[in-house]
Amino acid sequence: MTHNTESSTLTTCPYCGVGCGVEARSLDNRLIAVSGDTSHPANSGRLCVKGSALHETAGTEGRLLYPQIQGQRVNWDTALDKVADTFARLIDQHGPDSVAFYLSGQILTEDYYVANKLMKGFIGSGNVDTNSRLCMSSAVAGQKRAFGSDTVPACYDDLDQADLVLLTGSNAAWAHPILYQRLARAKQARPQMQVVVLDPRRTATCDLADRHLALKPGTDAFLFNGLLSYLAREDALDHAYIDAHCEGFDAALAQAQRQCPDLITTAAHCGLEPADVQWLFERFARTERSLTFYSQGINQSSSGTDKANAIINCHLATGRVGKPGASPFSITGQPNAMGGREVGGLANQLAAHMEFDNPKHLETVAEFWQAPRLATTPGLKAVDLFQAIERGEVKAVWIMGTNPAVSLPDSAQVRRALQQCELVVVSDCVEHTDTTALADVLLPATTWAEKDGTVTNSERRISRQRGFLQAPGEARHDWQILCDVATRLGFGDAFAYRHPADIFQEHARLSGYRNQGSRDFDISALAELSRAQYDALAPIQWPVTETRPEGTARMFADGRFFTPTGRARLLPIEARLPAGQREDGDFVLNTGRSRDQWHTMTRTARSPRLLDHCDEPYVEISQRDAQRLRIRGGDLVSLAALNAEYIGRARISNQQQTGSVFAPIHWNDRYASHGCVDALVAAVTDPVSGQPELKQSPVRLLGLRPRWQGMLLSLDSIDTPASDYWSRVTLAQGERYALAGFTERPDWSDWARSWLPASADLIEMLDSHANHYRAAAFRDGRLLWVFMASCDAELPPPAWLATQLGRTLNSKERMQLLSGRASEGAPDQGAIICSCFQVGEKRIRQAMKGGATSVESLGKVLSCGTNCGSCIPELRALIEHA
Amino acid sequence: MERQHLVIIGNGMATSRLLDELHSRDANAYQVTVFGDEPGGAYNRIQLSPLLAGNTDRKSIQLKSSLWYKNHGIRLYSNDAIIAIDREQQTVVSQNGLRCRYDQLILATGSRPAKIPAGNQALAGIFDFRTEQDVERILNRSAQSRDALVIGGGLLGLEAADALASKGLNVTLVHRGDWLMNRQLDPQAGELLRAELAQRGIRFVLGDEISHFEGLEQLTGAKLKSGRRLDAQLAIIATGITPNSALARSAGLDCGRGLQVDDLLRSSDERISALGECIEHRGRTFGLVAPIWEQARLLADRLVRGLATPYRDAPVPTKLKVSGINLFSAGEYLDAPQLQSLTLCDSQSGSYRKLLVRDNRLVGAVLYGDVQDGQWYFELMQRQQALGDLLPQLIFGRACCLDDNPDVPDTTATAITQEIAV
Repeated sequence: MTHNTESSTLTTCPYCGVGCGVEARSLDNRLIAVSGDTSHPANSGRLCVKGSALHETAGTEGRLLYPQIQGQRVNWDTALDKVADTFARLIDQHGPDSVAFYLSGQILTEDYYVANKLMKGFIGSGNVDTNSRLCMSSAVAGQKRAFGSDTVPACYDDLDQADLVLLTGSNAAWAHPILYQRLARAKQARPQMQVVVLDPRRTATCDLADRHLALKPGTDAFLFNGLLSYLAREDALDHAYIDAHCEGFDAALAQAQRQCPDLITTAAHCGLEPADVQWLFERFARTERSLTFYSQGINQSSSGTDKANAIINCHLATGRVGKPGASPFSITGQPNAMGGREVGGLANQLAAHMEFDNPKHLETVAEFWQAPRLATTPGLKAVDLFQAIERGEVKAVWIMGTNPAVSLPDSAQVRRALQQCELVVVSDCVEHTDTTALADVLLPATTWAEKDGTVTNSERRISRQRGFLQAPGEARHDWQILCDVATRLGFGDAFAYRHPADIFQEHARLSGYRNQGSRDFDISALAELSRAQYDALAPIQWPVTETRPEGTARMFADGRFFTPTGRARLLPIEARLPAGQREDGDFVLNTGRSRDQWHTMTRTARSPRLLDHCDEPYVEISQRDAQRLRIRGGDLVSLAALNAEYIGRARISNQQQTGSVFAPIHWNDRYASHGCVDALVAAVTDPVSGQPELKQSPVRLLGLRPRWQGMLLSLDSIDTPASDYWSRVTLAQGERYALAGFTERPDWSDWARSWLPASADLIEMLDSHANHYRAAAFRDGRLLWVFMASCDAELPPPAWLATQLGRTLNSKERMQLLSGRASEGAPDQGAIICSCFQVGEKRIRQAMKGGATSVESLGKVLSCGTNCGSCIPELRALIEHA
Repeated sequence: MERQHLVIIGNGMATSRLLDELHSRDANAYQVTVFGDEPGGAYNRIQLSPLLAGNTDRKSIQLKSSLWYKNHGIRLYSNDAIIAIDREQQTVVSQNGLRCRYDQLILATGSRPAKIPAGNQALAGIFDFRTEQDVERILNRSAQSRDALVIGGGLLGLEAADALASKGLNVTLVHRGDWLMNRQLDPQAGELLRAELAQRGIRFVLGDEISHFEGLEQLTGAKLKSGRRLDAQLAIIATGITPNSALARSAGLDCGRGLQVDDLLRSSDERISALGECIEHRGRTFGLVAPIWEQARLLADRLVRGLATPYRDAPVPTKLKVSGINLFSAGEYLDAPQLQSLTLCDSQSGSYRKLLVRDNRLVGAVLYGDVQDGQWYFELMQRQQALGDLLPQLIFGRACCLDDNPDVPDTTATAITQEIAV
């Protein structure tokens, strides 16, 4: 198939849980431009900076193109045989629970469905978990406890209709920019709308807020318990709603009152001013259309599920669930976190929102799948799974489209586990990640732009992702790879899908199978879609049933829930502080996203534009802490915990509370020497959801005093720079590295030659005191790399140097290059004619044009020829030949 | 009233410049008489190398024609050397027997080539490289020679070697120092220069000297102190210059290495002044034009206007173009333990820079290839400017440092102002 005309495809953005529609334009199998899909309800044509840069990240450079076993390229059959044979042997010898899948909120619902069906229905283990565990499993558990189902009641329109929006544990401005901007526009249109941000950090999201309450890290549940107790005191509860639709209210209130009997106590727990707390509570009490928008700051906690329920309690007690502008609203981080849950992609779910602890559900699924050995108990959740791998209980793991060596807490443990695991299979689209480095078998997978399927965003909206580029190399779709392995395991009949539409149909059928309104997730109305209808499927919110063929914007408006009694549950919540024990002098480490990066950077680090925003690992530190520790902005600082170290640049920030620091989650071994912040986070999880506490870990903070600092720009990628510290940035051409050394200053010239790409064509700047070193190397006359280091002075900014990589320079440019800046300031005056006064030919010709047409007049204007006079013959010749 | 009589001995570049300076102040202030031991008017001695190479001709390097002296009322006795000064009679005596009385006498007798201690120097085919006549003789000899020897790896020797090589001779340059131009360049720059000239076919023998020349009447070769032997039918000795102070000495004037003058450029006889390569001022002798031009200016001021501005010996950077290769050297140029040196070297294009820093101040610069920033470095040295954070950037030159350092002197801007004021 050749594309030689430009074509346009409507698809869905692969980044966050907002799930924006994207119009992609391609030419000759290349993505050339993206714009927002104006017809998509999630974004109405708008895109954030990451989404708008998608075309800069879609190149095939760095892609995993061929299957590999132990680093050697093999053909697909060999690789698939190896996976299937090993899985079969281990299952045979040690039982189904000796194998596991670890999936990703990045893969499509159809991929998820096949993986879940294979593991739970045919291999017979519950060991399917996903990186969504790190993202929203507490929100899921909270919803299930309260509503009896994993249901988000709200929709994005509620952002436009709310009169009070509480953003808690959310930096939407950076993590969900399109929703944030929607909120900003809504507030502009309706200035009476109040926005309150509850966050220990003063994030970019606070720009929009009427008030920012910088509560003590991890104390959100105290605040919502305090709110419930206040609402009761002030008689602001909806007793009619509670009586008609809820259960557990009395116990919940009693617990809330016990912990937070009054404003003063609540404020003290949260480290807030009582007046601010009162202001907030009064607002909530009197604003019917209150929306609580929550995200990872709530979920990533050892008591995340309780925090979610503390929030939901307040909404249930005021009857504000599933009503226009009034709901608790969990926003997921990943593009298909919800799609994964729909098919049962978490270890504690069965399939299609059915549960292991419900015999009827087990029976339903077994029957529908004709499953020979359906798993009947939940599998291992992410953190538990990798611990079981290290203990040798799980002997083979297949990781799809995610990078657990970076993203899970205590990453050193994860790496140990993978190193000793008998078989690590990684299917990914990127060749080099911290996780693929630990794989025994690598399987090249297709990625966004190449694959077809569906994703579900945070408002239950199913959208098509559509492929429009040919897969490079031998990459295959995840669902195909899974079916190939399933066939080799002897389950070919149950996995004979020929197209994602086949899988979607089956998935939709299962959602309606023996449902009759007993389960929230039902898209049975889509079960009969033809392939053409599937391809044309417009974004639609589930449930989609015969009675609601147009989908469903909000849930629970009728007050009926999916608990056995049909009533929503209020939970008695005993708010707890973060689990990590802080010793004297420890800081609280908060982790999160940076605006323009995504997860472990495998995609976003390919776009130089996205790295412009921040290009090195960093640590945000409060002004007061920085002063106390004598740390200046831009200094390298170290965070240490669990025998691991993270190094980043200090950002002195008034957003940060004293005693707290923030570090981004994105960097990893591919992009920095000490960039893996999750290595500092203990593997402490929420007892209900299994979600790790990634937000509030105790760390030690230390300002570093590098012996030297340097930078390197190189056309060739350097696997591991030979400096104590380094971080890497992708350039339009080549890469840039920030470097630092903490011990001995190296013997520059020899040291540089020992690890930088070899070249005989070098320019060097040497300093006898070794305080400075600069060098550049050329290959076939083209600039190959530039390295600069200094013990005591600032280095030039890298932007101009980056434009020089790969260029062929003339001799003057070569001598200027190591200055690190364009030499426009030094006018090229041509060959020197007058040595005494350093007057060049170009300057002389200019003066001649200006009327100096004799040796004498040139001498008057430029002084040339007026000293030794040796150049007078040349001056004369220039005049004669003018 | 009859004009005072000013007699000038020597008609080289210093005299030529002095005549211009006198004339620009008052053409009639003195009756001027000039004696020169070379034929014709003054010429630009610096252009002898291009003359030897055939890149210029005698007419082009002439500074003043015979007609010029006539038109300016100056009596010129060329090709006639002064052999004695009678200070009591205030009279000079020429080789041709002319006697000439003076009110003021100027000695501008210049310098002569330094001698080397080699044996057998009287052979035909061994030349100095100092005058137009030398060039003429060398050119005649070169036509019948295959192998040439140049002794001395300074500016003049290199120019001579390059000129001979360009005529197709096999040229070997013998230099006593371990690298070329070792009075101006550091070893690295000297090596770059050697490599570049070697590419043009010149061979170099460094760290060696002529022991003696070989031949009966005609030069056939030379034996070196190392024992090595070289064929040569032509040899040029260019190992430096010695002030011509014999005449002054015989007149009883105070002399050291050269004729000693005070700050007003007066000898021990106040009616006798001197300038140029023949003098010794505060222990120093001169070889570059810039200080001599300054001497000419001050001397003319004193003689015409009675101004007594003392001459101050200012450091001068060496700015040279050796056979088309630009070089700059100012201040210190050799590494030393107490100096911090910064070097920038492009092995491919053969460009080189070295800066020497002491106590955070620039004290020396050697540039090879691109020398545009030389004057600026020189200015920084003169100003004793503290370098600070400028240091790593300094080696890239003025333009790179001016961008974000407004405190750094922009000497070119000053120069332009001066140019406009002229």
